[in-house]
Amino acid sequence: MNSKMTTESPVTFPTREAVDFVIVGSGSAGGILAKKLSTAGFDVVVLEQGKYRKPEDFTHDEISVLYLDELQGGGPKIQQQTFRRDESAVATVSQWGNPAWYAQTVGGSSAHFSGNFWRCRESDFKERSLLGPISGTNFADWPISYEEIEPYYTRVDWEIGVSGAPGPFDSPRSKPFPVPPIPIKSSGVLLERGASKLGLHAQVEPLAILSQPHNGRAACINCGYCMDFGCEVGAKSSTLAAMIPLAEASGRCEIRAECAAFRIDTDANSRATEVLYYDPDGNEQSQKAKAVVVSANGAETARLLLNSASERHPDGLANSSGFVGRNLMFNSHSLALATFEHPLNEYKGVQVTRMVHDFYESDPSRGFYGGGGIDARSLFGATPIRFADIGLPPGTPRWGAAFKDTLESNFNHQLTITNSATSLAQDSNNITLDPTHKDAWGRPSIRVTYRDHADDLGMAEFLQDRAMEILDAAGTRQSWRFPISGQQGGAHLLGTCRMGNDPESSVVDKYHRTHDVPNLFLCDGSSLVTSGRGQPTMTIMALAFRAAEHISAAAKANNI
Amino acid sequence: MSGKTVSRRLFLKGTGTLAGSSAFRLSMPGLLALSEAVCTARDAQAAFDVLSDGEARALDAIAARILPTTDTPGARDAGVIYFMDKALGSFMSDELESIRAGLSEFESGLAASFAELAEADQDAYLSTQDRSHFFNRVRFMTLAGFLGMTSHGGNRDQVGWKLLGFDGHRGAWQPPFGYYDAEYMREQQDDD
Repeated sequence: MNSKMTTESPVTFPTREAVDFVIVGSGSAGGILAKKLSTAGFDVVVLEQGKYRKPEDFTHDEISVLYLDELQGGGPKIQQQTFRRDESAVATVSQWGNPAWYAQTVGGSSAHFSGNFWRCRESDFKERSLLGPISGTNFADWPISYEEIEPYYTRVDWEIGVSGAPGPFDSPRSKPFPVPPIPIKSSGVLLERGASKLGLHAQVEPLAILSQPHNGRAACINCGYCMDFGCEVGAKSSTLAAMIPLAEASGRCEIRAECAAFRIDTDANSRATEVLYYDPDGNEQSQKAKAVVVSANGAETARLLLNSASERHPDGLANSSGFVGRNLMFNSHSLALATFEHPLNEYKGVQVTRMVHDFYESDPSRGFYGGGGIDARSLFGATPIRFADIGLPPGTPRWGAAFKDTLESNFNHQLTITNSATSLAQDSNNITLDPTHKDAWGRPSIRVTYRDHADDLGMAEFLQDRAMEILDAAGTRQSWRFPISGQQGGAHLLGTCRMGNDPESSVVDKYHRTHDVPNLFLCDGSSLVTSGRGQPTMTIMALAFRAAEHISAAAKANNI
Repeated sequence: MSGKTVSRRLFLKGTGTLAGSSAFRLSMPGLLALSEAVCTARDAQAAFDVLSDGEARALDAIAARILPTTDTPGARDAGVIYFMDKALGSFMSDELESIRAGLSEFESGLAASFAELAEADQDAYLSTQDRSHFFNRVRFMTLAGFLGMTSHGGNRDQVGWKLLGFDGHRGAWQPPFGYYDAEYMREQQDDD
């Protein structure tokens, strides 16, 4: 076996012999599972529908990345995802972008995320018990506790690479952060200043971005292109940077890029036998496997299972509960923007350096369920086209000399407060197969049905009110709100194959094995039972480390 | 001058001067390759890819009112029309016919062509048209051609970025980044 570090997959497995594992998706969860299972001695094939881009392939090209959806598989033209608010409506292809927003590239959305890495708290895992039921929703406790997931959060910190410092409200951690915080930006200083005046507690944003070299990887150079862009120095802790090279170095992991899975076949014993996919030339192939792990994200995982319906599984694979695709949660969001007297130059450095978690816990006195976090960030800083298009204060002329003057005066003086909050799990928010539209491969399009719960919008507005107060206290020259309207898409694709102990109301067990198919595992955002407070990737990665340990042990015990 | 035979060089004589290639200061190999590609594209004397001379003049005139040249450079100085031609001939090609139809409708409300009007008259007419899909797409192309990477054919000499005070493509920075974090660092040092 070739065990030297290389950028090409050092091993190729034949498709007609069963490998130990096929993993669908190489993102936040898939990349970790690929590394853990291959280094544990299993033969692994990873099917990734996106390209195999390396750090040096990433650019700062706003037109390609934001407007041509270069990292998002070409956007609506290719994916033909559809959206509707309610099940009574006919879903249409969205012109503004994919409703289910994720990267198609090796590393998945961890390649283009901003790297905000909040742990869930102890309360997140048992909120239903703490707060009671919420009618009309599938609000539930998780089958695992913070204590059970904490060791895996710590593995994310150290193996993936998270910078930060403890905050006043954090749940207990068993080890300190491996690297210190990223340098504070002017937006972080102003958030801290405003929050302090109001008696709130700004704290360091934990980031999956290295402030110092760690695990043989380079430190951040503060280029400013984290959010939506790939990191050209590998300082952002994507699975592309942190896990895939180690998986390939095992000599047991083949990353098969530009291979789009469309069906999982099962035998008469309801065991998964092979994964069918389109190869880079569009030809049908299939990879036989002893076990299958789907980590394709909360939209793609649900689509793949629904598209794998058969006589034995008429409603889709692993869907005896009917919960596949249901309970989609985007996290709710709101924005407040502001200008300040002196230059901030927010285009330099990472997105977020400080956050406020005083409103994390749900508080019945607010009159609605929910909790969230407030952060200060660049948002428009490194993307001047988007800034000019939608980032200026309301009332600014849309063209002419006054428009141009505002572009000039505001660009380096603006910041954005981003509020991230809870979403409630509801039957009516879901992923289904579109009955008419197909994507460029010929797969039924992902159909997104979504309407934010009134409590989700209430929490978003509550945080926006607090953000405006913080901006005032920080001495803003001008501040304004982005109107809160129902979301028509999201980058957080959560809850669509939730974990649980009851096969009637969940898709996977607490170890990510599907209740219906013993050698089929699902691990990604779809596993989450509640939404957390708006930065889910840390939890998805911790679940992946935990799942890998259990799946590996089960395979070694011949119990798959 | 007529049709697609007009060269970029000739067109520029009517609207401004062709500035030389700018020096790029880029640390990343991928970006460097792109910047080299741009210099080639900008110096080419080929005809417009898809726009006729008349279409180019009209779109150029609209862009010049969206981002006018004042005491600072505007859309015309950034060569936005070359971005539009390149975009409509490549990644926006599926919008070419819609832009053509929109332009035709836009100009049908005028006795003379938009490009021939006085600036005040252009602004007055544009203010009656600035909610249309056509205008919104021309506005987007103007912003993208003014503020996008130069490899896409606009933002000549990075005049758009310079206007904003944006030099983000340098690639690497050290703190302090802005006024308030510099102040914060000084306060922290005073505390120590």
